[in-house]
Amino acid sequence: MSAAMPPPSSETILVERPRLLDRRRLRRLLVLLLVLGAVLVLLAPLTATDQADSLGAPQLVDRSQIRILTTVAMFVVMASAWNLVGGLTGYSSFGNVAFFGLGAYTCAVAVDAHRLHLPMAAAIALAPLVPAAFAALVGLPLLRLRGHYFAIATLGTAVAVGEVVKNVDYLGGATGLFPPILHRADLLFLYLMVGAALLAVLVSRLILRSRFGYGLIAIRENEEAAGVIGVNTTMYKVGAFAVAAALTGLAGGLFALWNSFINQELGFSLDFNIQMILMAVLGGAGTLFGPVLGAIVLELLIQNLAGRSDVAVYAQIGLGLLLAVTVIFVPRGIVAFFGGGSRLSVAHLRRSLRETGV
Amino acid sequence: MTALLSIQGVTKRFGGVAALNEVSFDVGEGEILGVIGPNGAGKTTLLNCVSGVYRPDAGSITFDGHSIAGEPPHRIARLGVGRTFQVVKPFASMTARENAAVGALFGASQLALSRAFAAADEVLEMVGMAGKASLPVASLTIPDRKRLEVARALATRPRLLLLDEVMAGLNPVEVDEALEMVRTVHRSGVTIVLIEHVMRVVVGVCRRVVVLHFGQTLAEGTPDGVLRDARVIEAYLGEKYARRLVGG
Amino acid sequence: MQLFVQQVVLGLLIGGVYVAVAIGFSLVWGILNIVNLAHGALVIVGAYLTWLLFARARIDPFAALPIVAVALFAFGYALQRALINRVIRAPLFFTLLLTFGVNLVIVNALLVIFKSDFRSVTPSYSGSGFGVAGVQVPYIRLGALGVAVAVAAGVGGLLNRTRTGAAIQAVGADREAARLVGIDLRHVYALTFAVAAACAGVAGGLISTIQAITPTAGEPYTLQAFVVVVLGGLGRVGATVVGGLVFGLVETLGQTMVPGLGAGWANAIAFAILVLVLIVRPQGLMGRVA
Repeated sequence: MSAAMPPPSSETILVERPRLLDRRRLRRLLVLLLVLGAVLVLLAPLTATDQADSLGAPQLVDRSQIRILTTVAMFVVMASAWNLVGGLTGYSSFGNVAFFGLGAYTCAVAVDAHRLHLPMAAAIALAPLVPAAFAALVGLPLLRLRGHYFAIATLGTAVAVGEVVKNVDYLGGATGLFPPILHRADLLFLYLMVGAALLAVLVSRLILRSRFGYGLIAIRENEEAAGVIGVNTTMYKVGAFAVAAALTGLAGGLFALWNSFINQELGFSLDFNIQMILMAVLGGAGTLFGPVLGAIVLELLIQNLAGRSDVAVYAQIGLGLLLAVTVIFVPRGIVAFFGGGSRLSVAHLRRSLRETGV
Repeated sequence: MTALLSIQGVTKRFGGVAALNEVSFDVGEGEILGVIGPNGAGKTTLLNCVSGVYRPDAGSITFDGHSIAGEPPHRIARLGVGRTFQVVKPFASMTARENAAVGALFGASQLALSRAFAAADEVLEMVGMAGKASLPVASLTIPDRKRLEVARALATRPRLLLLDEVMAGLNPVEVDEALEMVRTVHRSGVTIVLIEHVMRVVVGVCRRVVVLHFGQTLAEGTPDGVLRDARVIEAYLGEKYARRLVGG
Repeated sequence: MQLFVQQVVLGLLIGGVYVAVAIGFSLVWGILNIVNLAHGALVIVGAYLTWLLFARARIDPFAALPIVAVALFAFGYALQRALINRVIRAPLFFTLLLTFGVNLVIVNALLVIFKSDFRSVTPSYSGSGFGVAGVQVPYIRLGALGVAVAVAAGVGGLLNRTRTGAAIQAVGADREAARLVGIDLRHVYALTFAVAAACAGVAGGLISTIQAITPTAGEPYTLQAFVVVVLGGLGRVGATVVGGLVFGLVETLGQTMVPGLGAGWANAIAFAILVLVLIVRPQGLMGRVA
């Protein structure tokens, strides 16, 4: 009977358990869709430039859509980064927004004429470093906590850092900082943010298929057992935390430059904090493309609904209900729901309710 | 016989209670040593000290010339010490093969990803689980989970394997199968410390046993000799039985 | 010295509100193992109910508290039974996300109903108080502290002296064992959440007399409940009381007594304490070692 099973190979992934025949095909389809989408995202905005306009080419996207695409890419970075800690390692961080804020402030301080006054490229290079160093520092004590205590301690850290930033004059205090506005830079930041998103997915993929990634999964599954088979649990956890911080910080830094304004509320937004987690869980925590898919679906939804002030309140209610439905009915996320052997059926819904309810 | 593992005067306290009090013994290269004792004797605590889960309060533990007392678990595993847990701790969302493969990636083995699965199949074969490699942990029986625990530890290529009550909770037939597995593993060149509550198991495979009682070494010697020791009988069965059996 | 005593009194009085807010939160966390992110929203629902009763029916806010408690009890029971019970065995971030979703729904429903205008409850005695040796004590805050202590004593009595309380504690100690001795888990879970919601409602009633309320005013209270529970230690009513009072004191004294720090640092201080306590003493000031 074992002959019927797929042969062992480096292609075997430890993340999802039921291995169906159509999994690989689904994966390829997903990759194809993503590549197509990415190409579209990269090319379409070119039609919005002055040159394309003067050539009389049809304008495929407008400026507001470019803005939405950039935001989606930003959340792809954050959800993928969160996934490394929350999904892969099993430590539910509720404070990743601290890294976003630190990255944003690093960039804003770096380019500010009255502060560091560095070139933009140098600022972007610094954006991942400061949050990563911070994560390595606070990760050592924080990652000794587990479960709710870890979740709360990370949330507390994020709020505390935000509050400190708000009270430091060098960081603009309660007013915030204003990086210089770059004229017509929409496209530049779209490409930078999409680049960051690709980097986040690439890094996640490399980690998933490495000794490091398997060690992280082992920690999630049973930390004590991971230790005695030889996983350096402290280093691995702090490492994952720092990588996640670097990616999230990069997104934050790009955001600050793109937005030309950063303050405590924007940089340490609790909404962003929850959204990135929600995206990863909605798409499928622990999978490679789950967080990407979750970020795209949810952010498009939010942008299209919450952006309109007349329906914003109802959109938020809808979001809350969506959250409840997701958590109750598709606890393993979209990717597992459609690809991992479960079908959209009453039986599946009943089963998932039985697994988690009383 | 050279000592692969040397435990000297190891003490571990929890609060005011000494779970281990000045425990000393050696384990020779290639040996199967049984560590027996009633519940609460400190067997698992000792194993936790050797594998780095606990830091002993006093004493030294030397493995293959390296002092390992107080070292973190991963470093001890890397030196070639593998262990199982009495209450099994599998990586629950993985298959049996994946569990073993993760073991092969770490410990003293440190195999590359591309070779870990082949190594996993080897150790699963050795513990008699070749046919169940692709099953998820959730669908394995308790005896199989115990075998998987051994397989994962073996996959790290240990020179010393610490087995914590791998027979507990098994029926007689399963115990015999497990004993056969222990012999197979031993034949492959692994030194074994077998922690057991059940005497029969130890008598079956060990040439030498150490008896722990209230955190102290009560007796040491051949299984037969130790089992005739009045202090051992007393520890297990109480004073009255001891007097009746030994006639004292 | 007089300033110091005044700050200590104010800190303890504010601490009373924190105690009231945190008791329900601690109960749900300790027994159901759920960190309820909608707790602050429940507090604000209680505040709006008190405001409605005061503004429309001229009912004194303190007299309105029992009505608010009963309403929130029913709401909490239904919420747990219909929704949260369904994911109670899921990994923790699912319950966190679910309660966050509930929070979104409640807060925005309040926005639809009440708009984002500031509302306040101002009975005739608000703003007045008495002085002892130059130290001012506002009546309302003293009343709030009294109610908070009464609520704490009530919950403690319920848990330790009644059959229902015994069932709740049994479920908290060992879910499966409790089920095996015939305890109806769904009912006890719902009951626990209902009691917590009732406490949150009372806390909201108290808050409505102290500050102006908006639908979004609850979130800080969820965070503060975290801090209080972590500070005191999970699992005992007495620990929550100590945690709340200590937190009120530290926050007040930190702002006014440490040179260079102003009101803006209140949250920074609070959360720095939270993280430090978690790292140094995760079982809390009063908690037992796990």
